[in-house]
Order: sequence, then structure tokens, then C-alpha cells
Amino acid sequence: MFELRKVEKNFPNVRALKGIDFRIERGEIIGLVGENGAGKSTLMKIIYGAYQHDGGEVLIDGKAVRFENPRQAMQKGIGMVFQEQSLIGNLSVMENIFLGFEQQFVRFGVVNWKKMAAAARFQLAKVKLKIDPKTITSKLSFAQRQLVELAKVLTLEERVDGDLVILLDEPTSVLAKEEVELLFRLVRELRSRASFIFVSHRLDEVLELADRIYVMKDGEVVDHVVSTEAVAENIQRRMVGRDIDKEYYREEKQRPYLPEKVLVELDKVSLPGKYYDISLKLHAGEVLTLVGVEGSGREAILRSIFGLQRPLFGTISIKGDRVRSFNARNSVARGVGYIPRERKVEGIVSGMSVYENITLSQLRNYSSAGFLKIPKEKATAREWISKLHIKAPSEYADCGHLSGGNQQKVVLSKWRSGGSDIILLDHPTRGLDIGAKEDVYDMVRAMNADGAGIILIADTLEEAIGLSHTIAVIKDGKIQKQFDCKQGARPSLFDLVHYMI
Amino acid sequence: MNLDKLKKHFPWITLVVLAIFVGLLDPNFLRPENLLQLAGDISTLFIMALGITFVIYIGGIDLSAQSVANMTTVLATLLLPLMGGFAALACIAIGAVFGLVSGFVSTRLKVPSFIATLAVGGVALSVGQYASGQKALYMDAAMREQAFGWMTGNIAGLPREMLIAAVLLVIGLVIERRMVVGRVLKAIGAGELAASASGLNVDRYKMIAFSMSGACAAIAGLLFAVKLSGGSPVIANGFLLPAIVAVLVGGTPLTGGVGGVLNTAIGALIVAVVRTSMLYLDVPATAQQIFFGLVLIVAIALTIDRSKVRTVK
Repeated sequence: MFELRKVEKNFPNVRALKGIDFRIERGEIIGLVGENGAGKSTLMKIIYGAYQHDGGEVLIDGKAVRFENPRQAMQKGIGMVFQEQSLIGNLSVMENIFLGFEQQFVRFGVVNWKKMAAAARFQLAKVKLKIDPKTITSKLSFAQRQLVELAKVLTLEERVDGDLVILLDEPTSVLAKEEVELLFRLVRELRSRASFIFVSHRLDEVLELADRIYVMKDGEVVDHVVSTEAVAENIQRRMVGRDIDKEYYREEKQRPYLPEKVLVELDKVSLPGKYYDISLKLHAGEVLTLVGVEGSGREAILRSIFGLQRPLFGTISIKGDRVRSFNARNSVARGVGYIPRERKVEGIVSGMSVYENITLSQLRNYSSAGFLKIPKEKATAREWISKLHIKAPSEYADCGHLSGGNQQKVVLSKWRSGGSDIILLDHPTRGLDIGAKEDVYDMVRAMNADGAGIILIADTLEEAIGLSHTIAVIKDGKIQKQFDCKQGARPSLFDLVHYMI
Repeated sequence: MNLDKLKKHFPWITLVVLAIFVGLLDPNFLRPENLLQLAGDISTLFIMALGITFVIYIGGIDLSAQSVANMTTVLATLLLPLMGGFAALACIAIGAVFGLVSGFVSTRLKVPSFIATLAVGGVALSVGQYASGQKALYMDAAMREQAFGWMTGNIAGLPREMLIAAVLLVIGLVIERRMVVGRVLKAIGAGELAASASGLNVDRYKMIAFSMSGACAAIAGLLFAVKLSGGSPVIANGFLLPAIVAVLVGGTPLTGGVGGVLNTAIGALIVAVVRTSMLYLDVPATAQQIFFGLVLIVAIALTIDRSKVRTVK
């Protein structure tokens, strides 16, 4: 009844969806799996109307439709249960359920709260949630809020004619095991009312709940299986795709690290809610990669090492000194450089020139008595522009106008020219094209050769395997397994995925 | 040439066009001595605006400048018999401390700068009222001449006030373009998160910007006191709006990161020419703020970088 035919979506420089065929029948539960960046979110956004497709067609009962916004999609019975919850904390449950649709309870400009409460109770009964609809939403538990979201979407049942399609985006990522089971039971019961599209990182859950599974990779549906016939291993293989090209990751340039030179040591470090009992060592010349799904705690660990988040327990030592005051200034002074995922926000200052960006973290080296040594700054910038082949008209060019890859090189130059030897890379190749990615891999090897240690959160698992000396797999904030990645004896994708999910 | 590049040249083009327009109304306007007089008259306002520029440059706002200047006129008059010429230094230091307090409240207590400076301005105003006993105070003519005489009159045909403003402008330019402080303030204005991720002590530099603004407001107050030979907590009233207008029409947007002190110099001259033109057009002085209020709204709407402001409250 709901179908996508050859749906395309293009963004500047990226073909996000390449001819997607997708179909869902009445009362079906469809699983949608894929790695980060495979195109799952883009596809979902097209389905619930946040994006508009620019090729192919979207059909409901065989008729082509086009949603300009989520509200139009809702009017056709398509609702989204958000992963980052969309409820407003300081409103009551019933106000949230009917947010934007209060008109039905209004007479002469006055809201009939009793009527709204009754209607809300009816919706909450559908998801078997026995709470007072007048409760302030922020007082609910996470799982309860998730159910309220579901109840909110289920109001569509009364509001639209025709069938409902409900999208569940990673609904289990923050739930406890019993809560997940409860949710699954509920979804199965609700089949009589709606069809579901279930997106998750956790393949076992998808296999358990879904009738059919679509596997996405690089903007395409690469596999489509019926759950009862599916084999988890095969799906994993399709998710991660092709074999790894050894050249691509410059593996021949990988040298053993120096085990006697410890740059960073984490000893039983915990930050409850984010990560627990993390012990790691980073050595000179090493690439240490933290692998895990989104929200597994790897970003928080990186932020703690950079001093942005103070851990509650355990000790972090940098070059043998215990870190006592956690702030970026201290870490930078000890030689830590951070290449953030949000390149344009935390990486470069757009509006400032290449040379101003490169010296920003080390102005002390380029000034005396508070006065800048601008010629020296420019000389350094010119040196790094030619060293890393930064494509910029000159050292005066505004960093905001450079391409993503060149911006990344400027950020790298900033840390390397200042002599930082502990480099934290958070998704360093995100959004870069292949050539720019290869440049980044080259730089990783070059930094290792200079004796720098690198802690990496990779964009893909292939990248993690290809670049690392050591991989720590993190799940739910704990290290599940540590792999040694000697050349020729690297763990496989499946080894990693096994511990990730 | 595209619009973005042209935008940078808007302020001085506006200035020239306005000057020619007023020149057409009355050719006398363009006589050198008249123009010098004009520049001299706008100097105090410019000095106040110069300080405010640093705060706007980092994306904040300083609403306390006028009150600090008011307070300074009173303090300068009271301190002159006690300290002689050193009263000037004391006043500037006090102004800087008021700015520092604004900076502390806005960075450490996380109070938005407009409300932090409004509150600190309230304190300054009240200090001025209390210290003056709500009366206008007068300086002893001989003492004034001895301590501050060098600030008034002309030298080689140039108004001394204008020279003081020019010296401060040069200092401001050096700070902005040649010193670490200026570079960091630019980084904060253009991308605060990247600045702190580079390990910069963002809070400290913000406080420096606020105290520079406080010091400049105090210098402006000092010049008022000397020029009028006395102090009163209302002397500088009506200066805040045109000072902010000078910064914004000069080309430093409320969102910060671009523009600078030279822009503010041009902005202050634009304000001066506009004021003069209102004289020629018979707009009464009391009605001028109507015009500056409107110009302020237009200037903000045209220059603000909306990509930096997600929601407006």
C-alpha cells in the first residue's frame, strides 16, 4: 500500500539515495538496517516528509504523492516516532499528544481540558500506559516518554482515513531489556492498527521483530530478505560491503608503535551514564581506534581526554602526569590536539584566514609581549599549505570558503605545526570525497612516523580496521574487547560487529 | 563585483554620499574648518563607541557605557581637588573595573551581556547620583586648567579632542590588528566554539573586551567633565543610542566577528553628518532620537548574520 519507486535524493556533491525501491503492506513490520551514512535517515526523512525526493515516485495505494512537510505526510497517515525525542518537557502529556491539533478541544477560544484529558487517556490506552495525562512530561521515564511519542503518532488513526505507517527510529537504543520486550509486544499488537518501519543498529532485534528486512549501503538497497529466512552473518556482510583495499588505507606505511613510550593512559575511568571502567593506553606512533555504535560512549571518552568532560572516577594521565583540572586549555598545553566531527563549528573559524586559523591554538609562539609576529605566522602557513597540499589561493584565504578536505587539512596543520603529538580524530573523513580521504590517511601515517599518537573514531569500520594498531570495541560505555591489528593479522568486520551489537 | 564584496564598502560610501548631500544643502558645510569642527564635536561619542566596538566584535553588547560616562563626570569632578591630574587615571581604572564586572557577570555567571551591562549600568548611574547628591557639580577653574587644560582647545588648528580620539583610534587599531587580544576577540566573534576548542581562555578575553569598553566610556565621561567644567549624572544622556548606531552603521554587526574600530570611526562620522543634516532640515534636537532609533533597527536588520542566531527572543 505504501511504496517507493526508484527514489533519488541528491545533496550538493553527494548522491544520498540511488534509485531506492521500497514497499510496505498493511500490518507489516519492516526492518531497515545499514551502517552510519548508508542513507537510512535520508530515506526516513523522505518517507515522513522532512525531505522531498528529486527522482522516482512515492506511492500510496498506487497513487503518486508528494509531501512538502511532515504535516502533509501525517495527513496521509505517516507518522514518525523520533529517536531524539520530540516531546516538550514542560508541557503535560496530553498537551504533547495533541500539540498542533488542539483546535478540536477549543470552544469560543477556550480549551476544554477535560475533553482533552479523556481523549489523551484513550490514546494512552492504545500503548498500555497508565499515567495521568496531566502529568508534566519531564517527570516521565525515558521509556514512558517513548510510549507517549507512540501514542501521539497513533492519534493519526482517528484523524486520517486510510492506513497508518509508523516509523520507529532507533527506539530501543536507550531502553533496558525488559522495556525493549514490552515495546516489541506492543508493536506486534498494534499491527492491527498500523504498519511499522523499524530502524535499528541492533540486528538481533530487527531479526526478532521485523517481517522483512531492507539492507542499505551507500544510498542503495543492497539486500532485501524475509526475516525467517535471513542469516545474520549474510546481512552483516551486505551492510559493510566490499573487501578492504589495503593500499587505500596506506597499510604498507604502518610501522610498529613504541610500546615503552606511553602518551595517554586511562586507568579505570568512569563517567556514569556515559562510560564505565575504561582502561586504555596510547603509545607514540600508535593509532588507537574506539569502535562502537552511535551513543556507545566513544565520543564521551574522547571529550574527556581533551578535557571537555570531567570523569567522576579513575585517572587520566598525559605523558605520565595525572590530569587534575579538566579544560581544553590544559590539554592543548600538554600537546593534545582535537579534530572535531563538527569541522565548521569547532574546527575552523570561518571568517578568519588560513594563517589566522593555523596559529590560533599557539598564539604564544607567534607573539612577544602581546604583539603578534604576523610575518612568522604567514611563513608557517605557507609552509603547511605546501606540505599538505592545501588548495587555497593564499594564506590570506578565508577558511570558510575552502572545501571540506582543505578545511580539515587546515585544522590538522593547526595542531601539527604547534607540535601537538596526541591527536584526537573524531570522524576525520566525514563528508570528504575519496581523494581527500586518502590525504587524511596519508597524514595519519605521517604523524605516526613523527612519533605522534592518534586516537580515532572512524567513519566506517573498514577505516577503523585499515588504520589502527589497536581497536577497542565499546558497547554501552564499556570496553567489550580489544584487538591487536598487526599487519596481515587484522580482525575482520564480523569480529568487530559481533562485539558491537 | 558581487553584493557581498560591495557590502564591505557600504559604510564609507554612505559617509561620502551623505556629506555630498548635506554639501548640496549648504556649501559651507564642506569647508575644512567646518568639517574639523564636526570631527571634534563627535570625538567623545566616538570614544564611547570605540569601546563598545570591542564588545560587539565578540558578539555581545554594552548598554552600560552611557551610565559609566555619567558616573565618571561626577567622580572626575569630585576627585580633581584630591588627586589633581591623577584623577583621570583613577576614573579610567574605575570604568575598566565596571566593565570587568559586566564581563564577569556575562561569562562566569552566564548572564546575557545585554542584561549584565544593563544591570551594571544601573549600578554606575546610581553611584553617580549618590556621589553627586543629585546636583550638578563644578570644577575649580584653575585646578581644571592645570590638570586637564591640555585636553581642550586647538593645537595647530586641530581640535585637541579630535587628536585624543585619533590617538585612541590608533591604539585600538594596534590592539585589533597587531595584538594577540585582537586576534582572539576576532576568533570569539567569528567562531567561539572553535576558539575554545583551540585551547584559548575565551572567558578571560571576553572580560578584557568588556573592561576596554568600560575604560573608553570613562575616558568619554572625563572629556565631558573637562569640556563642561563639571559633573552631573545626566550629562551623557542620549549618547548610548547614537554610539551603538555608530558601531553598527560602521559595519560591525551585532553578531560580531567582522568590522572593527576603523569601521566605528566611519560610523561615528556618519552619525555626525546625519546630525548636522538634521540641523539644516530643521529637525529639533529632541526629535533626533526618533531617527537614531529607526536607523538602529534598519542597521541591525541589514547587518546581522542570521546563520549565527538560531532563534530570536
